[in-house]
Amino acid sequence: MEDVQVVAMLVRRCVAGDAAAWEEIVLTYNRRIYNICYRFAGSADNAEDLTQEVFIKMYRTLGSYDSSKGAFVTWVTTITRNLLVDHFRKTKQDRITDSLDATSSAHEDAQPLSEQIQDQSAPPDARVRSREVGETVHAALAKLSPELREAVILRDLQDFDYKEIATVLKVPEGTVKSRINRGRAELARLLQRTYRQVM
Amino acid sequence: MPDLTSNGMCHEFDGLLADALDGVLSSLQLDRFQAHARTCSGCGPLFAEVEAGRNWLKGLTEVEPPASLVNNILASTTGVDSQRLRVNVSAPQPRGSKVGPSWLEQAQAWASGAMQPVWGTVRQPRFAMSFGMAFFALSVALSVLGVKPADLREVSLRPAAIRHTFYNTQARVVRYYENIRFVYEVESRVRELKRTIEPAAPRSGESAPDKKDRKNDTTQQPEQKQERNYSQTGNNLILASAPLGPSVFDPLNQDPLNQDPPVVSVTTYRRFV
Repeated sequence: MEDVQVVAMLVRRCVAGDAAAWEEIVLTYNRRIYNICYRFAGSADNAEDLTQEVFIKMYRTLGSYDSSKGAFVTWVTTITRNLLVDHFRKTKQDRITDSLDATSSAHEDAQPLSEQIQDQSAPPDARVRSREVGETVHAALAKLSPELREAVILRDLQDFDYKEIATVLKVPEGTVKSRINRGRAELARLLQRTYRQVM
Repeated sequence: MPDLTSNGMCHEFDGLLADALDGVLSSLQLDRFQAHARTCSGCGPLFAEVEAGRNWLKGLTEVEPPASLVNNILASTTGVDSQRLRVNVSAPQPRGSKVGPSWLEQAQAWASGAMQPVWGTVRQPRFAMSFGMAFFALSVALSVLGVKPADLREVSLRPAAIRHTFYNTQARVVRYYENIRFVYEVESRVRELKRTIEPAAPRSGESAPDKKDRKNDTTQQPEQKQERNYSQTGNNLILASAPLGPSVFDPLNQDPLNQDPPVVSVTTYRRFV
């Protein structure tokens, strides 16, 4: 995934005050961190702000990175995850894992997501349909509890192995696997319910 | 190897579920796993749901970060624009030149490296707002004190001029102090002279107890205000006139019809100042 020696050298240069090395780190990891933030936070604006905060925190604590303790990407992801959890606690986002329609139907007049999709004109292009499906899955992902969400994001979207996820989340590998399974199953149930109503 | 055929081992199914989807189970393990999934009414649907969820997530594509993200990150951390940084990094060195950076450039590079974290912090919006408020307060204070930037431009900073300004200011302060002392001395002399010339002043302590009593009065009753006819005080002129002749009251005249009551008219001329 990453050349440990190259990254360690890059970090050393950056700690020594080499601005070019820091820019290289930013260019290498901004996409990954932005995607994690986007999938976890749910919105592009929040993801951009959170990504900047992650890099600011990383810039301040770069000297504390020890390459012998783990890969740099794991360290970066740990910072990202901690900041996302802090953000989640601050914003007091709903932790409800109900289905999309159940959440919407809390108000009598609210239109469920399935109806929203149905009301839209049928996408003639497969790309448009794919994008809509992606948005629906993204919305369903945002409905998962943060514990399940972060686990499936790291596994299925960021391709981390179980050991790395256990390091980032600071839980045993068995717990990681269990959370991933529960997260996937919950997501499937949410989407199944949504698309059953569409069909 | 857990016995997956028994219902008591369903909880082991969860641990093998992820491995089964990852394809890391051996053929024997996989066969037993699938056999349990087919027979168990709880684990079978769970396996299907987990597999479906994973497929949904695999269908999600990576999103493209905003184009300005890298620049914003660099600006918020190092305070350096990436475009300028690239130019500096990729700037070609002249061939054969062995001249390194001058000591001034080295000092600037060292200072910029040392100040980068501070500068990055300072450039955050909250600090920028604080500095803005501080600048505003300073400018208001200077304008209130009468300090103008144009005056500062004309200030000579030569050592001789600074010395001259210092002595001038010192002489002005001494002169002011001497003048004030002279005025106070004259005042005190005049006061002593008055005290010797004037007779003994009436006891000023007579009205003091009244004031003191009023202060100690906690009854919250309003003070009795002194009724004054303000029209008769000051510089107002009051003229009184009584008309003579028939209208004058005659005590010998017994006719009540011809007896007019005395009329006194009062005219007030106010002086408006």
